Amino acid sequence: MIKELLQSSPGWANFGIFFLLGAVLLLIVLGFVTYGILAERKVLGYMQLRHGPNQVGGRWGLLQTVADVLKLLLKEDIIPKAADKPLFIIAPAIAFAPSFMVLATIPFTDKFQFADIGVGLLYYIAVSGLTVFGMVLGGWASNNKYALLGGMRAAAQMISYEIPLVMSVLGVILLTGSLNLNDIVAQQEHGWFILLQPIGFIVFFIASIAELNRTPFDLPESENELVAGYHVEYTGFRWAFFMLAEYVYLFAMSALITVVFLGGWLAPFGFLGFIPGAVWFALKFSFVVFIYIWLRATLPRFRADKLMEFGWKVLLPIALGNIFLTALIKSLFF
Amino acid sequence: MTFSGEFLAFMGLALVAIIGGVLLLNLTKVVHMVVALIFTFVAIAGIYVLLSAEFVAAVQILIYSGAITIIMLFGIMLTKHDDESEPKTGKWRKLLVFLGIAGFAFAVYIGIYNFNIVQVPTTLHENNTMQIGKALYSKYIIPFELTSALLLVALVGSIILAKNEKKEGDSE
Repeated sequence: MIKELLQSSPGWANFGIFFLLGAVLLLIVLGFVTYGILAERKVLGYMQLRHGPNQVGGRWGLLQTVADVLKLLLKEDIIPKAADKPLFIIAPAIAFAPSFMVLATIPFTDKFQFADIGVGLLYYIAVSGLTVFGMVLGGWASNNKYALLGGMRAAAQMISYEIPLVMSVLGVILLTGSLNLNDIVAQQEHGWFILLQPIGFIVFFIASIAELNRTPFDLPESENELVAGYHVEYTGFRWAFFMLAEYVYLFAMSALITVVFLGGWLAPFGFLGFIPGAVWFALKFSFVVFIYIWLRATLPRFRADKLMEFGWKVLLPIALGNIFLTALIKSLFF
Repeated sequence: MTFSGEFLAFMGLALVAIIGGVLLLNLTKVVHMVVALIFTFVAIAGIYVLLSAEFVAAVQILIYSGAITIIMLFGIMLTKHDDESEPKTGKWRKLLVFLGIAGFAFAVYIGIYNFNIVQVPTTLHENNTMQIGKALYSKYIIPFELTSALLLVALVGSIILAKNEKKEGDSE
């Protein structure tokens, strides 16, 4: 359907349809973010032997995040006097926009996808790298030493971990022979890439946590050494944008892992094929999100120098070895 | 002239790219200039997409997002926070520059106006990632290998430079 729309002549009707589709996706993502945050707080709570939010919205705290967001919207919008005003305002937007743009290429089911780009996987990694500008700019524009340190760390971490991230999916690309996410899913009909590429998956998963700035790699915003890192000076709606970007990336990265390593919308066994693809996708996706939350509750934060050493001296050589091994296996057996 | 969506997109992207370039020259703070640079590079990547060169577009963003971040870090670390570049004044100089630009614009206009590009039907837009790979590893294999050797030398050189500095620091 999207393809026909893209090739038809432009007009207000087309614009309206695209706008509506985009708005619907945005609402879905906002819904995920709302309940993703609640789920994270609940899971963290139970893992720390407490209940988590249980007051607002019934026993399960179902309206807790909604109330939090309302509070953020009503907060006074403060811009520090010494801050660089235009950059301070534009930085949250720069951080958020790429996080939503990457969703365009992810195939949620065989029919529900916005842009079937030939280089989908590369597009995701390239565009997600743009977010770091928002963090560095926000940190610099705040005119605060902690914010600046957080921004610097974000830049260093993003650059160091983007390389193992790309290198680790090269194995999958070698086996598929395509960068297209639909082709990658189609290739997994007879075996998920997590089974064929276990080393690649582990490297990718670790690097993806670093790209998401989540514990144990949340150095850019480590609250007990840098107060809150690059968004110390932000409040209200602008702060909410940074948080939103972070959770939209959680959504996007979990979806990407589901597509690349867990077979996307495909059923694990042939006889389970009667269950629709969207259900399988949702199940696998939720599982990946749960693992991210689980890791956050389990692992302490890295030290800054260890982080760099780990990225360059451990992850990168393993990823390179994985490429070599995959190429060898492919030329011998496939 | 048909007023297609492609044309609209091209106009938007071209405007962003040019405005970014102009702002890059006119802004006074280093970090602001880098932001203008980001807009230019991303807009150019968009133009690559319009030309069906998705692979080049993605690589453009992938490479330059890292490169611009580094430029920004250097800009932040090597300048003061409120440092501004001083505007150079001089009426004659401005006039001469304007004349030079006008002459160049005129020359380009003359050159482009009757320039006829013969349109050849190509298959370059189909599966272009694979085509780039094949061309790199068959037709252009020697330049490709030379570039990789050059990059390797640069990498080794930078590691040696960084290590030397550390040793001197230790001995002091």
